[in-house]
Amino acid sequence: MPLLDIRNLTIELDTPHGRVKALDRVSLTINPAEIHGLVGESGSGRSLLARAILGIPGHNWTIKADRMLWDGHNLLEMSSKQRRNLMGSEIAMIFQDPSSSLDPVIRVGTQLVEAMPENKKLPFWRRSADKKKTAKKWLHKVGIKDTQKVMSSYAWELSEGECQKVMIAMAIANQPRLLIADEPTNSMEMDTQAQIFRLLTKLNQLQDVSILLISHELETLSIWCDQLSVMYCGQIMESGPTAEILAHPYHPYTKTLLNNIPDHTGQIAHKSIMRTLPGSAPALQHLPIGCRLGPRCPRAEKKCVSRPNLSHKKNRYFACHFPYQEETCNEDTTASS
Amino acid sequence: MPQIKIYQEDEIPSPMRRFWHAFSENPFAFAGLWTVICFLLLALFGPLIAPYAPEQQDPHALLLAPSWDAAGTVEHFLGTDDLGRDIFSRLLHGAHLTFGMALGIVLASLALGFIIGSISGMMKGLKSSILSHLLDALLSIPSLLMAILVVAIMGPGLENVFWAVGIALTPQFVRAIHQAIHEELQKEYVTAARLDGANQFQIFWYVIMPNIWDTLIIQTTLGISAAILDIAALGFLNLGAQAPSPEWGAMVSQGMDNLLTAPWTVTIPGIAILCCVLAINLVGDGLRSALSPINN
Amino acid sequence: MARYLLRRMNLFVATSLVLLSVLFIATHHFPVEIRFALTGIHAPTVEQIAQIDEDYRLESNQLGQFIGYLEQRVTGNLGISATSQQPVTDELAAVLPASFELAIVAAVLALLFGIPLGVLASMSKNKITQHTIMTITLTGYSIPVFWLGLTLSLWFGVQLGWLPISGQLNLLYEIEPATGFVLIDTLLSDSPYADSAFIDALQHIILPAVTLAVLPFTVVVRSTRSAIISIMDKTYIKAAEARGLHTSRIVLRHALPNALIPVLKNLGLMLGTFASYAMVVEVIFSWPGVGAWLVSGIYQRDYTVIQGGVLAVALIIIFLSIMIEVLHTAINPLSRKELYAAN
Repeated sequence: MPLLDIRNLTIELDTPHGRVKALDRVSLTINPAEIHGLVGESGSGRSLLARAILGIPGHNWTIKADRMLWDGHNLLEMSSKQRRNLMGSEIAMIFQDPSSSLDPVIRVGTQLVEAMPENKKLPFWRRSADKKKTAKKWLHKVGIKDTQKVMSSYAWELSEGECQKVMIAMAIANQPRLLIADEPTNSMEMDTQAQIFRLLTKLNQLQDVSILLISHELETLSIWCDQLSVMYCGQIMESGPTAEILAHPYHPYTKTLLNNIPDHTGQIAHKSIMRTLPGSAPALQHLPIGCRLGPRCPRAEKKCVSRPNLSHKKNRYFACHFPYQEETCNEDTTASS
Repeated sequence: MPQIKIYQEDEIPSPMRRFWHAFSENPFAFAGLWTVICFLLLALFGPLIAPYAPEQQDPHALLLAPSWDAAGTVEHFLGTDDLGRDIFSRLLHGAHLTFGMALGIVLASLALGFIIGSISGMMKGLKSSILSHLLDALLSIPSLLMAILVVAIMGPGLENVFWAVGIALTPQFVRAIHQAIHEELQKEYVTAARLDGANQFQIFWYVIMPNIWDTLIIQTTLGISAAILDIAALGFLNLGAQAPSPEWGAMVSQGMDNLLTAPWTVTIPGIAILCCVLAINLVGDGLRSALSPINN
Repeated sequence: MARYLLRRMNLFVATSLVLLSVLFIATHHFPVEIRFALTGIHAPTVEQIAQIDEDYRLESNQLGQFIGYLEQRVTGNLGISATSQQPVTDELAAVLPASFELAIVAAVLALLFGIPLGVLASMSKNKITQHTIMTITLTGYSIPVFWLGLTLSLWFGVQLGWLPISGQLNLLYEIEPATGFVLIDTLLSDSPYADSAFIDALQHIILPAVTLAVLPFTVVVRSTRSAIISIMDKTYIKAAEARGLHTSRIVLRHALPNALIPVLKNLGLMLGTFASYAMVVEVIFSWPGVGAWLVSGIYQRDYTVIQGGVLAVALIIIFLSIMIEVLHTAINPLSRKELYAAN
């Protein structure tokens, strides 16, 4: 049974320009103990999806879904209190801006201890000391050596990487079954990025935590993820096992993204045009009808003004009227590489 | 063939339009705006529509209750005070003094504060810090103490209120403008303009000025309400407008003697002050909340 | 931190100097003879004139006179009151505690009710409720304090007769002043009617303190509310929510400490207005504090009292506003960050 099963999740935002469908019938399935990558440009609704899964909606949201199951329980029917409990214990999230995700006026250690689970077996007077001990243990686990120093610092005294590690320690201390990582390595150096990703994979392997990894870099995601979903303008374009998607993308958008990954073979002609889609992603108030890639898609035809349904082929899902077939796909990849 | 619009027409409203839209959505602020306009008109034309002269005494109608009271008459709509003067007429004449003078004081000290604040804001280092600390000292003297000093030197009177309140208000404007300019100077777009070769004046006028308008507007509304309250308080303490004057604060103080027998001589001018200040604060509050989403 | 404190100390000294020079200039413009304005001695004898001239260096130039003036004022010689012929310093010492008592009670009232109400107001999502709360607090902010004081004393003091409307304590009670704060003195006093005196003092302070508390109360409500609303949008609040913390815990533990920082700043900016209001309140309720003393000083053209009162009140305000700034820096780790960055 999948851990998280979402069918046709639609989120509408109330904006000054009227109601906008920011997420349009998004489906997502996350199995236990997998790393699921979610790739999309900024503004494609990835963070909305993450917050909707977690259950911290904004005040102008309307959420509708055919199905939103967490481990067999319907998330939509839960009261906000139940959702809160779930958040603390089963689903955790880390954010893209770790240093501002920590309260600036309280020491990091206090916040960390606050997030630790209480050991109900101990008598209450020993619980706080125990919490402090677990906090240190978790800091060690996420790779912070000088725990005392980090715990007595304020958030702004730490580097982004350290903050993110603290955030991860807080998130996994309750041993969640799903960790949502929303651009966890934004604005970090390459080696810190690698550290964080390695830490996440290790967690995944050792603790069986499922991870929903959100990023705009297909390249990074393709290294670390088992499953991949591609999102554009609030619609899921394609999803499936990473290796298969990389080898044979069905959807034109995925293919363009793959083409955009710079290869360092040096075979591209000097000053040749970069293989991107024409135009730019539409603004939220100018979303096209039907397939939202329509106006920019190289393969678009008249039919594309109606939204393609998510069709599937073995374990691959894609939403396109004119997917690349395996044969042509093969040709294309050989031609481009 | 008619032109087909692919996207629905959607023009982005100008900041001014958005501001007006946000402002008019708040009914309280809108009501405040109308009240302020009424008070402005009264301050200008009040003496023309007043039925009696402010100092005209009617010996047959001493301490007459307002017209809605059983003892009141319609001739004296809001009643009369202990000398038989019509309170309604005095209020109308007083609008000119209290509200009109507050406007005058604020405009004068705003102009002065704007000049000093801009200069000190654009300057750097020691000069700027001396100027701002000097004003910190002045700012720490409460307006009432300042007024007491001015009265001690010049004697009580309505003209001296102008100086007292003006001197107390100016440092606030200077400080607000100084800080606003200082904050803007830190921002990247100012550096960009400087790299484009803009000189100090161009940076001030074309780059910073459009971005500190909102501070200026909000400070002005705050200043007007503070000025009205100060003028009235001075009038009440007999340090500002003197006895026969229909200034609202002085009216309250004159009514004090009859507080028990004729409470309306105190209540009515007090309500007039409250309405006036409240209307201005409502407008100021509406302006502030309407301006803030533009900044974000 | 030591360096920062030193800088604040410097600021205090510099600001006080500016203040003293303003007073010095004002003294020379008082419409009376300069010796009288400086000392408050009505008809000085020849020796006294010589003494005054020597003390204040009246023979030397303006700068010399200013230095003489500084010397006298800094050593605590504020002259004698022209009306009572008592040293101004003694009179000040007698009236200051009453003012502090009133101000402290009013400030505590304002904070005690203002902060919870501000938090509650920020929690409300309803637009009408929000507008209503804002309008009510705005009314409190706009109300002329003398009128409010008169109305309250008319209602509760005269018509209902619940509370006394003037003075600090019923004249029947004779309480030995120990601290100057009547509320404390009555508690400390060992006289047989100390308890009833304390209740009487409490009843006396209610009306003035409530009148005075209205302004800081509204400021606290409004600034708490706006600070919490802006903080609730911050990422760290979202992160705390994502950790599954309870909303009340988030507000109390994370939002409120952050929100109190701008509230403190706003309170510091409001000190001057607060002092003005306190003076008016003291006059209305015949509270024997520095404000009433100062206003009676101006009615009697008692120039030494005016100087002494203005100097004392302004110095206290400068001192308090610098203290608030230091406190702001001390409790706010963020401003320490700026401090380090600046150094």
